[in-house]
Amino acid sequence: MNLTRRDLLKLGGAAVAAGTAAIDFVNPAAAQVVKPKHGGIFRISGFDPQGFDPQLTLSYRTMTILSMTHSRLVKVKAGPSVQPGSTPLEPDLAESWSRPDDRTYVFKLRRGVRWHPKPPVNGRELTAEDVRYTYERFISLKGNQARSLLDPVERIEAPDRYTVRFTLTEPFAWFLDVLSSTSMLIVAREAVEQYGDLKRAEVCIGTGPWMLERHEPNVRVTLTRNPNYFVPGLPYVDGVEITVDPDHATRFANFAAGKYDFGPEYNMVLRRLDLDVARQRKPGLQTAEFILPNMNMTWLKLDQAPFSDVRVRRAMALATNWRDLVAANAWAHGHGVPNPAVPAAFREWSIPLGDLPPEGRALYEQNIPEARRLLTEAGYPNGFSTPVETTAGYGTDYMDGVQVMLANWKAAGIETDLRLKEYGAFLSTTLVGKFEKLAVGLFGSWTDPDSYLYRLYVPGQASNSGGVDDPKLTEMIRLQRRTFDVKRRREIIYDIQRYLSRQMYYLYGPSFSVVVAWDAAVKNFAPNIGHDYGGRLMAAWLDR
Amino acid sequence: MYRYVLRRLLVAIPSLLIASLIVFTLPRLLPGDVVQLMLEEKAYGKDLDDLREKLGLNRPIAIQYVGWLGKVAWGDLGESLWTGRPVREELARRVPVSLELGLLALCFSVAIALPIGIVAAIRQDTLTDYAARSAAILGLSVPGYWVATLVVVFPAIWWGWSPTGEFTAFRANPWAHLAQFVLPAVILGIASAAALMRMTRTMLLEVLRQDYIRTAWSKGLREAAVVLKHSLKNAVIPVVTILGIQVAQIFGGTVIFETIFGLPGMGRFLFDAITQRDYPVIQGVNLLIVSIVVAMNLVVDVLYAILDPRIRY
Repeated sequence: MNLTRRDLLKLGGAAVAAGTAAIDFVNPAAAQVVKPKHGGIFRISGFDPQGFDPQLTLSYRTMTILSMTHSRLVKVKAGPSVQPGSTPLEPDLAESWSRPDDRTYVFKLRRGVRWHPKPPVNGRELTAEDVRYTYERFISLKGNQARSLLDPVERIEAPDRYTVRFTLTEPFAWFLDVLSSTSMLIVAREAVEQYGDLKRAEVCIGTGPWMLERHEPNVRVTLTRNPNYFVPGLPYVDGVEITVDPDHATRFANFAAGKYDFGPEYNMVLRRLDLDVARQRKPGLQTAEFILPNMNMTWLKLDQAPFSDVRVRRAMALATNWRDLVAANAWAHGHGVPNPAVPAAFREWSIPLGDLPPEGRALYEQNIPEARRLLTEAGYPNGFSTPVETTAGYGTDYMDGVQVMLANWKAAGIETDLRLKEYGAFLSTTLVGKFEKLAVGLFGSWTDPDSYLYRLYVPGQASNSGGVDDPKLTEMIRLQRRTFDVKRRREIIYDIQRYLSRQMYYLYGPSFSVVVAWDAAVKNFAPNIGHDYGGRLMAAWLDR
Repeated sequence: MYRYVLRRLLVAIPSLLIASLIVFTLPRLLPGDVVQLMLEEKAYGKDLDDLREKLGLNRPIAIQYVGWLGKVAWGDLGESLWTGRPVREELARRVPVSLELGLLALCFSVAIALPIGIVAAIRQDTLTDYAARSAAILGLSVPGYWVATLVVVFPAIWWGWSPTGEFTAFRANPWAHLAQFVLPAVILGIASAAALMRMTRTMLLEVLRQDYIRTAWSKGLREAAVVLKHSLKNAVIPVVTILGIQVAQIFGGTVIFETIFGLPGMGRFLFDAITQRDYPVIQGVNLLIVSIVVAMNLVVDVLYAILDPRIRY
């Protein structure tokens, strides 16, 4: 727990040398041990931030940028030694931490951490009071959509300049994981007090490895190295140039033309459709595969016929062929995996399908005759008809998948009436449960496994769109949140997934196995889930 | 003439007021609101009301409208609900980009449409005429965004070169700045040029058959004098009408072309604002577009009067 990032990088290098073959590298060049070099600029295709206040948006557009300029108490480790889909933690602003009892966490901060030398903070030292202020604001700020992440927090104290104590209302085993989220970045009190909020670029002031030098809205974001960064020697590169490139074809063209160092899509992904051309144009291109947590998801109104009948839900699962969906997707081109309740991307927490009970496991293999039999048994010998609400706003790749799914269902006798909603309307109505019978969408932006259970299945949570109210399930979910023993917690989560595989409250589509690509000159980079571009880029360097 | 222009200006005021009411009301009639969008899929209970209050969206819509209009009268278009940046500042940065793209496209369109239309008319039913008409049909039929995508992607695949990249400001490098507009302006102008060329040819053919033109030929005037001096002026009045319509279409087209070519103009700004329900931005941009269209119609009306002194409303 007291390892520094430099120690970890050294260990990472050693681990790579020892052969971390578990990472599915298409091209193992990334695993070479090279002495880090300083200098250069990373050029990436990115997004225009929706303001710079980490507590007033959840948008990946903002979080990917702020992950480079701000710090948290703890963060997810980065580099080739970390398997994509796992989220091991390492100290960030916290030097160490302890848990005196199940409801208390005490963090000891690093000394001498300086804010970026910009007014009104002007490079003063970060103290425990800053951390306390940040999370008090997080809890009390109107409009903070991530506020429920800290619902278990009863009070936050700063007993001395370098100590922060959190007291929780109940034991919460995921607390450290929650603190590693990009929503938990530490902000400067003076900046908030001077400007009211942190939406403006001039108050993008953190303690992170890079500083915001310039923001040209909808054009580019320019970051320069923080000379006072608290880990000596890091970051390796002098700056990051993020170009806002909203069109897919243009993004890829610029990548193929050598204008970007990393794959042009979110999370440095390169569509498999474009992979061959990219390899021809960019000799030595490095790639790695990993599974995105995002998936097609089907929400059902559980208090209405026919979906109140578990046999109907199982019939729909049996009618769906996840392989068809994966084959139809340009990002995946046939590469992907089926998802239990915890997405397969979370390799440490997602149950292997082989460990599901036979009746649950069977639902992942298309079986039209069995689906028809179940529908007949449920009183629908001729199938049934249902409206399907979705949005074309996720793009053509997504809509191709929806069409495949509807064709699957039709084969089992389920007729659908596709109703497209405008993207904004879909987010604001369907995703919070305002749909007639059945809705399909993309899902999977959370980076902790607990959210996929607690928020989707516990009554009262906004994302419980289907209206799941299962006391046994709720108790199991609450139990895993209280269980600190990781092995035991994993067993409970596995049990929850086994239980859910029989209930099929939601229908989970597959996750895509995507290709992340980076230039031959980029060293020590490895992808992972989540918006933490900063962590992953800080571990990397340029050999150009 | 001055009274004519003044009268047209006065008529524009109620038009703008009605337009302001429409641009304020319509975005609010779209299903879904900015508060829900800001909370995305992680929204929960009480926050919705909190955020709505914080953004001032809990007040009656009539009060919101009056408040907004009062600010607009003083040149204040409000602040983006997402970024907190003043809409006026954002527009000041983006409008020149869209105007530059739109005007270059318009110039290109007129520059090729008029000569080709004239040549096609005076060489009617010749190979030149057929080629010009075929090209015009092609220009009208092929979607501009498709051509733009091909122009961006194929050079990257074949030669590792892309015509797009980071936007370069005029002050930083005037040549690079202009160069980045050439391709989008040409492609954006093609469809408009095709329509203008066809209209020019048709109208010129009609005028060339008039008695006074026959008289001009019989007087022994040179072809250039007959066509350019006596015919063209009368033929272009409908062309100017079409041109006025094309202006609105060209500015509409900038949304896609700014996206494909990475130009930070008004179109992209509006597109993002609509998807995010950023009401002050939608209102500000639309009000500006309405003002531009009203102004262009005014210019067209004045041009009518200049081209044909008999026209007075």
